[in-house]
Amino acid sequence: MSILDDISLSLQMGKLKETKEGVQLALDQGHSANEVLNALMAGMSIIGDKFKVNEIFVPEVLIAARAMNGGMSVLKPYLVSQGVKTKGKIVIGTVKGDLHDIGKNLVKMMIEGRGIEVVDLGSDVPPERFIQAAQDEHASVICCSALLTTTMVEMKNVVQKAESAGIRNAVKIMIGGAPVTDAYRKAIGADLYAPDAASAAETVAALFPAA
Amino acid sequence: MTGKERVYTAFSGSPTDKTVWVPFAGVHAGKLKGYSADEVLSNVDYLVSSLVEANNLYDPDGQPVVFDLQIEAETLGCKLLWSDKTPPTVVSHPLAENAADAESFEVPTHIPGPTEGRIPLCTEAMRRMKAAVGERTALYGLITGPMTLASHLRGTELFMDLILQPEKAHELLAYCLEVAKAVAGYYVQAGMDVIAVVDPMVSQISPDHFEEFLSPVFTQLFDHIRSLKALSSFFVCGNATRNIESMCKTRPNGISVDENVDLVAAKRITDRYGIVMGGNLPLTTIMLMGNQADNAKAALDLIEKAGEKWFILSPGCDMPYDTPPENVIAVAQAAHNPDLARSIVQAAGDKANDTFDIPVDIPDYAHRAVPLVEVFTLDSASCAACTYMMASANDMKQLFGDAIDVVEYKYTIRENVARCRKVGVKNLPSIYIDGELAWSSIIPTREEFIAAIQKAIAAH
Repeated sequence: MSILDDISLSLQMGKLKETKEGVQLALDQGHSANEVLNALMAGMSIIGDKFKVNEIFVPEVLIAARAMNGGMSVLKPYLVSQGVKTKGKIVIGTVKGDLHDIGKNLVKMMIEGRGIEVVDLGSDVPPERFIQAAQDEHASVICCSALLTTTMVEMKNVVQKAESAGIRNAVKIMIGGAPVTDAYRKAIGADLYAPDAASAAETVAALFPAA
Repeated sequence: MTGKERVYTAFSGSPTDKTVWVPFAGVHAGKLKGYSADEVLSNVDYLVSSLVEANNLYDPDGQPVVFDLQIEAETLGCKLLWSDKTPPTVVSHPLAENAADAESFEVPTHIPGPTEGRIPLCTEAMRRMKAAVGERTALYGLITGPMTLASHLRGTELFMDLILQPEKAHELLAYCLEVAKAVAGYYVQAGMDVIAVVDPMVSQISPDHFEEFLSPVFTQLFDHIRSLKALSSFFVCGNATRNIESMCKTRPNGISVDENVDLVAAKRITDRYGIVMGGNLPLTTIMLMGNQADNAKAALDLIEKAGEKWFILSPGCDMPYDTPPENVIAVAQAAHNPDLARSIVQAAGDKANDTFDIPVDIPDYAHRAVPLVEVFTLDSASCAACTYMMASANDMKQLFGDAIDVVEYKYTIRENVARCRKVGVKNLPSIYIDGELAWSSIIPTREEFIAAIQKAIAAH
């Protein structure tokens, strides 16, 4: 097995130390930062697929993400020095009044695993902040998460705020979370809906041709 | 059969005279009396009056007393963020505060006593509910399951603990089990018939992890509840499908699931174990956003598929605060008066064919000598909310005598369906005064009703 395959496997098994060591070894052996990044992303992609079909669950995804982050911490300076760019940028947050963030964090990890930069606004994010961040960061997608029936109504406000700010046509708005459905997406005029973190990453990745 | 008898009969596996109905009216009950979520979960008087209102309106066979998964966590040092429409959220995790080393934490030893935090509020509410409705309605005391409590204390680190430091995870879960056992004891002593162990985190882990970490814990917990001579139920929200069989093996008396689970498929498993299956009306698409006919239909369909035994009709989980009461009333009818519920569905479906296009005379309200109070009901004889509403209108008739007229239009009479359409009545039961909607599925207080009638009298 090549060192790149080892990296992917270590990540999938949630082995933090081995993933970091593997990344350093691959770079020392002369692999480009981009190649190593692709190896990490390949591992994360497999994790996403397994999560989607309920082969693995939150614990397994979290430790894989931990390994990914560890690998990325070693890789980052090389990505910068070799001028490797991300494929696009999105903004994500849990809506106003809602503090639940596990789901949102999983989506963030999966999307980052696709080589897309994620600006994480955290939780309890008012509509204005989603819009402001999208504008400041030149993000193409706004992702809104909610766990409660009482807070998902804020998603409609995000859509309306995007309209009144004049950026509705410049951004795609994606929604998700336990009580959210595609029917709700349609009702509030959002663009995209994802039922799980892996699908969310797939959907967003499809928006960036190079991804 | 009283509602309570019905619940016990369902748990024994015998067929019941009517479908067993247990609405999960937590913070939503507060809305019925105009209390916010934080008010109703922190004031025992508000809580009890809200629960009694829910009991009168929804005709439950069983009813939870407090639906708040943060009670235990709060006593153990978790900070809560309160909200006006939802139960509070845990915002701090005492066992994840080691900034230097995320993995390091001490398993606590303190078990909350009966006077700590909001436990006394719960037990007091339970005692009062027992006195008020306890003979006819089975009462459910809800405790936070060990996995969810552990996640309140440890945050998302808990998920990684299962893999990275399993012995420590076992220790923490064992501690949370002791907390659960203690709180179950307090609630049984306060008169609860059923202890529901609510553990949504269960739906986020693999069957292997469930078997390794949770099977022994839940088995001990349900054995303990059995030893307290109470019934037990295992509530898990989220897609718990793959864990259903493992959950059955921990021997609860009942399991309750939400809309993520195919209830009929899951019931094939629970039937084999002699365990009652509860659920699973969709909370948002149907209960919150649907209308009466949608709710009646969804409930009737579910009842038909679920069968006569080992089934309790419930919402998928704690109902949203803003759930329209008329929707919950429609579900109650599906359970207890299915023919009436079917007539709601049929009348709604007939709009296109207009078979209820019967001429109806709308009174000339302005020129009548006295105000007219019109009560549109499903059927005040059999629908509890309708009985309640009609009683309050009749009370006004008693009080005002000839100064007002009061009339009931039952939906069971075809002309009245036509009248509802013509007047534009959206929900049943409703009270109209002189042709204007006064209250929809909410029963006014005596004072409110008197004031409204006096205003109407003055206008004539």
